[in-house]
Amino acid sequence: MRAIPTLKISISGVRGVIGQSLTPTLLTRFAQAFGTHTGSGTIVVGRDPRTSGEMVKHAVIAGILSSGGRVVDIGVCPVPTVQLQVRRRKASGGIAITASHNPAEWNALKFIGSNGLFLDGGQARELLDIYHQGEYTKVNGDEIRTVEEVSGATDTHIKAIIDAVGPLPSGKRRLKVVLDSCNGAGSIVGPKLLEALGAEVVPINVTPDGSFPRPAEPVPENLGDLCEAVEQHGADVGFAQDMDADRLAIVSEQGIPIGEDYTLVLAALYVLGQQPGPVVANLSTTSALADVANKFGCPLFLTKIGEVNVTDKMQQANAVIGGEGNGGVIYPRINFARDSLVGMALVLHLLADSGKTITQLVDQFPRYTVVKEKMLCPSEKIPAVLKMLRQKYEKFPLDTRDGVKVTLPEGWFLVRGSNTEPIVRVVAESQSESQAREIVARVYEQVAHCIK
Amino acid sequence: MKPLKIGITGVRGIVGETFTPELAVEFAQAFGTYLDGGRILVCRDTRPSGPMIRSAVLAGLLAAGCEVVDLGICPTPSMQLAVKWLEADGGIAITAGHNPWRWNALKFVRGDGLYLNPTQAEELLDIFHQGEFLKANWTKIKSSIAYADPISKHIDALQKAFAVDVIRRRRLVVAVDCCNGACSLLSPRWLEVLGCEVLALNNDPAAPFPHAPEPKPATMAQLCAVVKAGHADVGFAHDADGERLGIVTDRGEPLSEEMTLALATEIRLRKRSGTVVTNISTTQAIDCIASQHGGNVLRTPVGQAYISEGLLESNGVLGGEGSGGVTVPEVHLTHDSAAAIGLILEHLAESDEKISTMVQRLPRLTTLKHDLPIEPHRLYSVLQEFRASVESEGLLFESIDGVKVTLPDGWVHVRASNTQSIIRIIVEAKERTKAAELLDWTRDRIRI
Repeated sequence: MRAIPTLKISISGVRGVIGQSLTPTLLTRFAQAFGTHTGSGTIVVGRDPRTSGEMVKHAVIAGILSSGGRVVDIGVCPVPTVQLQVRRRKASGGIAITASHNPAEWNALKFIGSNGLFLDGGQARELLDIYHQGEYTKVNGDEIRTVEEVSGATDTHIKAIIDAVGPLPSGKRRLKVVLDSCNGAGSIVGPKLLEALGAEVVPINVTPDGSFPRPAEPVPENLGDLCEAVEQHGADVGFAQDMDADRLAIVSEQGIPIGEDYTLVLAALYVLGQQPGPVVANLSTTSALADVANKFGCPLFLTKIGEVNVTDKMQQANAVIGGEGNGGVIYPRINFARDSLVGMALVLHLLADSGKTITQLVDQFPRYTVVKEKMLCPSEKIPAVLKMLRQKYEKFPLDTRDGVKVTLPEGWFLVRGSNTEPIVRVVAESQSESQAREIVARVYEQVAHCIK
Repeated sequence: MKPLKIGITGVRGIVGETFTPELAVEFAQAFGTYLDGGRILVCRDTRPSGPMIRSAVLAGLLAAGCEVVDLGICPTPSMQLAVKWLEADGGIAITAGHNPWRWNALKFVRGDGLYLNPTQAEELLDIFHQGEFLKANWTKIKSSIAYADPISKHIDALQKAFAVDVIRRRRLVVAVDCCNGACSLLSPRWLEVLGCEVLALNNDPAAPFPHAPEPKPATMAQLCAVVKAGHADVGFAHDADGERLGIVTDRGEPLSEEMTLALATEIRLRKRSGTVVTNISTTQAIDCIASQHGGNVLRTPVGQAYISEGLLESNGVLGGEGSGGVTVPEVHLTHDSAAAIGLILEHLAESDEKISTMVQRLPRLTTLKHDLPIEPHRLYSVLQEFRASVESEGLLFESIDGVKVTLPDGWVHVRASNTQSIIRIIVEAKERTKAAELLDWTRDRIRI
């Protein structure tokens, strides 16, 4: 079998491995293409603390300047901070340098439009066309613009959050939080925000030096240290961020991860209690979110997977809260961006307002278990797999906007091809763990049979 | 055709046309590969494209696994000295020297602070063209850049080379035109250390070049006026990166750039005899001065790397070129306009002589320079045709760099520029009319 390429150029940006496919030449061309696409305006550049970040940043700055753009370099910061700065400065766009949850050897460029959102499919295709055509705007040597180095972009972000949600109510017991930033972009700003809110913080993994103390994805199996620290310090809650601080996972006061699907559930529980309104998530989101929306009589819209689909629908529906089941909370009063900082602020307010523990809050609703599996599948076989599922499950409610989602009496499952690797992913959810496993096992077998 | 020169003096072109960030990235990565990683210094002059090229160079070096020390804006010779005290493996100067505002270039310096010699430069070009560069993985790549100030140490090195106390006592009045280039940060400071009353002009590194950054009489009108108005003992004019020096006398007369090395040779050989190293295109006045003082002259092809090599080889006492570049070996073996200033001021202080009277004593020759723009694909064939024509006339000529013909009343030199797509013609004779005849004679033999 041929080697899986490590370079991925797609509508979600360009991603590759340092020392292999992600070369400075490629990066500087992409930045020129983006500078050309944005019409040589101001572009905000921020990065996560990966060891390759400085190299990538300079390749990007050279490309932007060459295409006539002006650069605002905000240094190491969460992705949502870049997005907020784009809007605050009325910039033409932004580039976030981060491979989010990918391991340390990866890096990537993510492109942000003047509205602070990631480029949508159409804009991203335009950018790719410019990149591939290779004809970039080049300004004369005497018209090259400058780089403005800005410190304090994260302080602006903290202030925006405090302004929107307020500090935690005084006069109540001070909440104690253990924060695991994975040595990522949230390492400095995370503890600062929690203190500004009025919580007591026990930080772990807050040295943003490019080392990965654990795999970056904030899924339960990676949160052993955090669970231990929550128990040891008798904390009210544990928060885990990923490398670029857009996703958030929660560990209960008992030191148990509640599953990253539940971050949005709790955030919505607080927001809808304050301000009822539409909720938007993707179609792979836990049914617990539907239960919360129902409790407040609010509509829930499910979109195709992809952050930009969620944010588009949120704007259309005038949503009050939205996000993704991977721990991405989007709170439009700050920005249309997945933002772990906002997530933490909302969950802490929920704890303070309700006076309940994380466990009690989660237990008010039926508990769902999500089981995920993936299997190797040559990309040309994916359409056949999806067709087979559509036929086999035609009697059940189907959603075919993104793979095939089938709603069964005991739960639901979703099968879709990855757009980054030659695999299919199977996700199933049910109120009982054994049922969820059964669904996955059954579908897995059907898919495997189809591929054979 | 748009100008881009990739050659043994580095890579040079117009930003916005041929000199792209990809090119700068890949040249830097090739240099990092050539040096097998290691510590590399980066500096730049004041051109507005400097930050863009700098970022491209930093990306290329980091990607190759280098440790990078950014010296910011500084004269190239300051970086060349810093290579030694920072124990670096090499350096990249981002400067197009005397070229206009829109140009930029990369110049490559090795671990001893000198430019790559022609063989080394060829090796670097081979790596660049092959396109297979070192690529550091995430554990090897350097995650940050270091910074250092090279100017103070440069002034320290200069102070050790000259009789600073003697110069200080004379309280010389010196006008200096920094052309808003990198010397804005060095030259006025150095003159103050020398106790001079400094009349600095165009010393704002954030401002554009007020005139071409090429010190020659045509660009020194403003400096002449300041020298006269301020009753200065001397006026100095810098290029963008601190290599070339132009001189205005105490009477406010601009000297030809050829006279900078002539004056330095007179000063140096009067004190200490030995070998002066210069290129074959530089004024014959150097030979006349050398023979007066019992010194001798070693001629090399045009280019700093050759002068440095010649000095190493001959253990020479002075080096330089007719473009205004002077090398004072006590400071280092590379052109350094601040060192040339030290040499000249030391002499003024010790001798109490005036520049204008010194100039009177120097041989009076007329040097004429003429540039012929040529399509890049014709550059070398034009040269070849000129050589054939000279050969067919049975004339004596030398061909270590272009074609230099010695005639009864003077000489002519025709060569391809290292940095631009032009043929440079230089002729020299005693009389101006004769020099003009030589220029016509040469042009008659060049068919574009």
